[in-house]
Amino acid sequence: MKNLKHIWYIALKDLKIFVQDRPALFFSIVFPFLFVILFNSIMGGVGSKDDRLTLHLTTQETTGGLSYQIIGAIETKDQSALKPGAPIVIWDKNYETDRQAVLDGKLDGFLNFPVDFTQSLTSGSKTELEIFADASATNTRAALQGISGAITSQLNANLAIINASAQLLTMNGATPAEVQAVIQQIQSQVFGNTGAQTSYLSFTTQEVGNVEARNSSNWVIPGYLVMFVFMAAATSAPDIVKERKNNTLERLFSTSAKRESILGGIYTGIALKGLIQIIIFWAAGILIFHVDLGLSPLAVIILSLLMVIMSSAFAVMLATLASSIRSASSLAVITSLILAPLGGCWWPAFLYPEWLQNMAKITPHAWATSAFNKLMVFGADFGDVVWSMVALLVFTVVFGAIAIWQFRVSDR
Amino acid sequence: MADEFVIVKDLVKSFKDFKAVDGVSFSIFKGEVFGLLGPNGAGKTTTIRMLSTVLEADSGDITIGGHSVKKDAAAVRSIIGVCPQELALYDDLSALDNMVFFGHMAGMDSKTAYTQAMKNLELMGLEDRAKGKISKYSGGMKRRINLAIALMGNPQLLFLDEPTVGIDPQSRNNIFENIQSLQKQGLTVLYTTHYMEEADKLCQRIAIMDGGKIIAMDTPHNLKKQIGNPDKVTLEDVS
Repeated sequence: MKNLKHIWYIALKDLKIFVQDRPALFFSIVFPFLFVILFNSIMGGVGSKDDRLTLHLTTQETTGGLSYQIIGAIETKDQSALKPGAPIVIWDKNYETDRQAVLDGKLDGFLNFPVDFTQSLTSGSKTELEIFADASATNTRAALQGISGAITSQLNANLAIINASAQLLTMNGATPAEVQAVIQQIQSQVFGNTGAQTSYLSFTTQEVGNVEARNSSNWVIPGYLVMFVFMAAATSAPDIVKERKNNTLERLFSTSAKRESILGGIYTGIALKGLIQIIIFWAAGILIFHVDLGLSPLAVIILSLLMVIMSSAFAVMLATLASSIRSASSLAVITSLILAPLGGCWWPAFLYPEWLQNMAKITPHAWATSAFNKLMVFGADFGDVVWSMVALLVFTVVFGAIAIWQFRVSDR
Repeated sequence: MADEFVIVKDLVKSFKDFKAVDGVSFSIFKGEVFGLLGPNGAGKTTTIRMLSTVLEADSGDITIGGHSVKKDAAAVRSIIGVCPQELALYDDLSALDNMVFFGHMAGMDSKTAYTQAMKNLELMGLEDRAKGKISKYSGGMKRRINLAIALMGNPQLLFLDEPTVGIDPQSRNNIFENIQSLQKQGLTVLYTTHYMEEADKLCQRIAIMDGGKIIAMDTPHNLKKQIGNPDKVTLEDVS
């Protein structure tokens, strides 16, 4: 109990010094957000919204054709009711206007129903849906192909039902007149008349996880969290060396506080600062940048805490290895600025060549950022990042062991 | 003053090839102000660091208040206060915060630490500057706070390692008065200095150290008799 009190008082003292140090506060709390805002803007805007595709449909049929019913069924009537990722479908009335708009580069593309669409379907002739799109508009082209594929497969299925029904009736001795009457009945039920309220055509958008599409904050914020939590902890190392140099550490050692309590207090002080940092990071991330913690917020929280305890262990280790305040400062900045880009904090590590990706695994940053990316961008679950958590724990143990082994209260 | 509160026997400490303390032995009686006098590099600070459990001796024994430094360092730490030669303060905290913090480290609860801190600040004549940051203090004021912190936790033995180095006369007098007052309250003090007059004024007994060894130990009066009056200089004409 006495030891825990000592740990707490030392940590509290360090926290008090930190809070009174305005430059340190700025560089630990405010500065990271300036970075996040800057890079978030570059990568797609602060709290970027769900970028939806807008798809245009036209028909050359006269009023009353089947295409009117199909387009009417899939046209977007209320954009606010759209699910994440669902496209906006717009019914354009003039084929030639849309065609010219694509040629002029004002429209990415559109899907058109030909003039003989209904007639061809009902008579059993072939007909083709036309996709007119800019070659470079790959997303729009793919979406229009998807829609046309869905329409044709649904229509083909219905025609197969009609044909099979006709053959069945013929085999059972129905007269051509009877067969024709039944076919007309099925056609009217399947294709309906213009203005029918129900449609055979339906679309569903399946959302995987809760991850909003294309919010750059989902990977910008974790990357910078990893970088700045580590950097803020590492830059605490010179403060520990300063305590050693100005004899306060030795003075502490001559009190009734034990060596492990002093070490624990210093460590806890750095960890508390990191804890404040991640709370602010995630609160601002969620409230301002609309980040989504993915399927397992618990995994995100545990990873953040592991990042804090690992970074704190690194800071104490760095302080024990550095012989002067200046060398501790230099080492803190250099290691932070090398490990962050190597570990994928500035840009995704999966863009690196394979050898660099393998090399990055020697950094705790790579394990942390890849785990955050898996959780928040690629919809992974807790189980998918367990090894990253284990890796961060191993780093913590190694750094901590060196820190305990090398810790000294004086350089004299 | 019959009880030996501190017993030091054959203390040795080397740093690589340099023998900083070489077979030092002395004892300090309870309630006594004992002086370690010597030039810079004599081994005074190294001796204090070993006595205050910060540095481990190569050989020899130290017993403080009946506790062996080697075997029961925690018990020793609970009855000592250390005022190091170099200022050991948190510049970014106020004097009060510094003192309360070290009070906590001495095992005090917050209320007791605060009360003791205010009392010590008053003793040092700095109660009106309690909430001022240490970084804004003068050198003399810092020295007084350095001593005030050593008194947190009501130690039975106080180590004062050259507490008056580089300070103004006012602060020096304040420190002297406080040491004398504390001694009257029964505090045992080990005082190191390289100023003869300081040792003479404050200490009941003095050990003179040089080259890591004690070369003389006695009361100031007897020592002065042994080495003669240092103020009297005899000039001889050798031409």
